[in-house]
Amino acid sequence: MFRQLLRLVLLSGITLAASAELARDELGKVETLPLPYPNDWVIVHDVAFDHMSLGKFIVMDINGKKISEFFKGSFDGGNLAAFAQASKKPEMYVLEHYYDRGARGNRTDLVTIYDKATLMPVDEIVLTGPKRAEMLVSKFIISLIDDEKFLLLYNFTPATFVTVIDLVKREVVNEVQLPTCAGIYPTGKRGFSSICSNASMISFQLDKNGKVAKQSKIDPFFDIEKDALFERPAIIDGVGYFPSFAGNVQEINLQGDAAEPGEKWSLLGTEDKSKNWRPGGAWLAATDSAKRLYVMMHENGGEGSHDNPGSEIWVFDTGRKARVNRIPLTLPAIAFDITAGDSPKIVATNVEMNLEVYDAASGEHVNTIKDFYHSWPLLVYASP
Amino acid sequence: MNWLDKLTENVSRNVAKTSSRRGFLGGLGAMIAGGSLIPLLPVARADAMKQPEPPTADPGDPATCDYWRNCAIDGYLCSCCGGSVNSCPPGTEMSAITWIGTCKNPGDGKDYIISYNDCCGKAPCGSCFCNRNEGDRPTYRPHTSNDYNWCIGTKSQAYHCTVNIILGVAIK
Repeated sequence: MFRQLLRLVLLSGITLAASAELARDELGKVETLPLPYPNDWVIVHDVAFDHMSLGKFIVMDINGKKISEFFKGSFDGGNLAAFAQASKKPEMYVLEHYYDRGARGNRTDLVTIYDKATLMPVDEIVLTGPKRAEMLVSKFIISLIDDEKFLLLYNFTPATFVTVIDLVKREVVNEVQLPTCAGIYPTGKRGFSSICSNASMISFQLDKNGKVAKQSKIDPFFDIEKDALFERPAIIDGVGYFPSFAGNVQEINLQGDAAEPGEKWSLLGTEDKSKNWRPGGAWLAATDSAKRLYVMMHENGGEGSHDNPGSEIWVFDTGRKARVNRIPLTLPAIAFDITAGDSPKIVATNVEMNLEVYDAASGEHVNTIKDFYHSWPLLVYASP
Repeated sequence: MNWLDKLTENVSRNVAKTSSRRGFLGGLGAMIAGGSLIPLLPVARADAMKQPEPPTADPGDPATCDYWRNCAIDGYLCSCCGGSVNSCPPGTEMSAITWIGTCKNPGDGKDYIISYNDCCGKAPCGSCFCNRNEGDRPTYRPHTSNDYNWCIGTKSQAYHCTVNIILGVAIK
């Protein structure tokens, strides 16, 4: 009996093998990504607020309908990492830190340099720490300047200062002390500006070695209590457009050696004011290839509403200082960015922590991206 | 409920509470402006202020986002993590460096200065996330900014949860 069964099983196997036509798979194959990334690819930062040491960045094709289409790869970003990407070379920079025993033990702070094609770490710059500012909203706390030769990092201990890294030498070359200021807004040929706690700004120009060559301060120019500027601007042709809590936008020219506040104008019409529309969100401003300003807005705003989800994104012509479109969102969103190229798309993180894609010109909703093992995909970075 | 839904609900509920607090913060802003660009180190405020009498009433559940002391918090409530409104969970370390808010106690109608001390040294608690932003200001004014990880000066800077400690009654 046993022999008969064995013969039957063997014969079945032979039959299956004979009918199979799949070729033998190649072992050890690993995907790589095309360079440059297509315009419709973005990088999404999952800050993993409930398991921060496992934060990560995900490369996404926003046209994909299912996970095998939209998920292109990922790389690590531990403990509320900060992210910058070069446009002139296929490098990405992740400012992060790790403990050697999970949430305790020795801590290593570093900038990890990733290759955009392989998503492999190709180098790292180990930092003395702990110094770096850890925060959820992490754009403009790491910035590239001087044709991407220098990488600047914002530190908070709670003293405030900026680390200067020479990316050619792959080493720290300077620390620039700030008088209680925050943010790194690239300024002029080889410099940066920060907003200070008394509503002023300070600017620096560096020499070719990363040392301070020139320093400038401007007097306080806004009211932090009544109408604070968000530290989350859109930069268009070297001019920062900083939305304010009460619904204005402050232009700050960053083209010269030092920051120069320009015109301040309202995002709101009379009816908007009566309904208390306000800018808000974790990341609330962006621009597109046509240099329009996009600001995420919510209704019934007031004191404390500045991180509220936005129900609409408003589009402004900065030359005429006029609204040219308002885009209702299918679900309120907390952050967004806009892809490059002639057909820009809005990619927004909605309140359910999924991603929504809209055509930026028409405002039409074109895709929803969800179910990709994520928890807090807070910030979106369009390809440069 | 999604945390952002909760946030929206809370914000609309608390907009009406802000007028008296602005007086205090306005004064604080003037003090900062007067101090010009001298670095501001918000260290160990608990020792610097006279402790008031305990409030006659402390209504609400500290394990809920609606609780009055949570008016400027951004993080996990330690009351849900083995700690309490003013004590850290076992095995964590309380950071002495904090941001502050000013919240109205509906029990006695007074505005209290609240120190939001982070508890540190373990992975995030993960329960009872709460984000409310009354009086919160951007990161360029750190002592009223809840966007930073304030586990500073502790043995490990790993963030676990946040307590809300009464420092005193706000002076109008």
